[in-house]
Amino acid sequence: MKRKLKKVGIALFLVLIAIQFYQPALNQNLGQDYTNDFLITTNAPSNISKLIKTSCYDCHSNNTEYLWYDYVQPARMFVESHIKEGKEELNFNEFGSYSNRKQQSKLEAISKQIKSGEMPLSSYTILHHNAVLNETQKQEIITWINSINESNSLSED
Amino acid sequence: MKNYLIITKKHYIMKTLFLTAILAMTMVSCNNKAKETETNATEGTESTSQLFACPMHPEVTGKKGEKCSKCGMELTEPVAQGQPAHDSTHDDAAQPTADETAANATSAFSTDEIIANYLKIKNALTKDDANGAATAGKELYKTFNSADASGLTAAQKKEYTDIAGDAKEHAEHIGDNAGKIAHQREHFAILSKDINDLIKLLGSNKKLYQDHCPMYDDGKGAIWISETKEIKNPYYGSQMLTCGSVKKTL
Repeated sequence: MKRKLKKVGIALFLVLIAIQFYQPALNQNLGQDYTNDFLITTNAPSNISKLIKTSCYDCHSNNTEYLWYDYVQPARMFVESHIKEGKEELNFNEFGSYSNRKQQSKLEAISKQIKSGEMPLSSYTILHHNAVLNETQKQEIITWINSINESNSLSED
Repeated sequence: MKNYLIITKKHYIMKTLFLTAILAMTMVSCNNKAKETETNATEGTESTSQLFACPMHPEVTGKKGEKCSKCGMELTEPVAQGQPAHDSTHDDAAQPTADETAANATSAFSTDEIIANYLKIKNALTKDDANGAATAGKELYKTFNSADASGLTAAQKKEYTDIAGDAKEHAEHIGDNAGKIAHQREHFAILSKDINDLIKLLGSNKKLYQDHCPMYDDGKGAIWISETKEIKNPYYGSQMLTCGSVKKTL
């Protein structure tokens, strides 16, 4: 029984080592142009810009700032799948290329997600403490987002 | 001695595995633990001099936090300054814009299935049925994916693509959030705008009503499309089923 357990343990340990060799492509694109970037097209004030970059851009842009444990499997796979999903949903680097309707709908969603505390994800902020938004910061972002959304709002009729 | 070594080694391996498993599990569970916060409609940022009206009785006005003399509800609707209270109709949508419904019957594209699935979501939300809304959301998503816009004119097609692209995402989110009705309703609010614009663009074979809920989203209000004249509010469900009003017939 004990020997069996030991064998299983070793096998799992080897698997753990083996998966370290699986390293999918990094979400990094340093040479890209930022003409469609959200913060640039909207001319965001620097304090807002800083907050959004720290709290959102790791998963919602083409450049992630990785930390050492992000390279260790299985965290690596977990992180990469989150980034993929996050970018599909909203890529701040490509925001300017979205249709007007989509931009508005995204702005509305952003402000709601931040307000409800759903974003940034708690699984992200648990290790990225600097990404946590306090109430004042939340309110700052929401007010700013609502102000740019109102300036190009669709009529309701 | 040898035995001792084996034990410590085993312990070490087990410990590593155990820690990895815990790490993996916390990550997964954290991911699922999204908080659900009901949007609170009674908040406001207006100054104290601002008059507020009852969401159900616009003629009753007073200061923020006071109760309506007719139904006891809190006065939450901001009244535009310099405007007599009984005129406050919340919304510019009330103005007649009748001939905008350029429902061109010549269009080769049928909006029937899209509208039918939208109404299914709406009806599920009026019953606070998050699972039903999710199922209908998935159906609507499929409908958009299989819709063939080739019969539209170039101008129509461009606008249709914009609307459908956005609406599709909201349908997908409603479909994926069976356990979170507040989140479904957030998407439903934007989806309703899209569907409204789609009907404006391509028409509908059915008689439909554009309804308005003045309270949703902290009093910003939201519209929905309904097949019945009777008000059944999809944003609050049983909490406030009959709150809202018909803005126009589509």
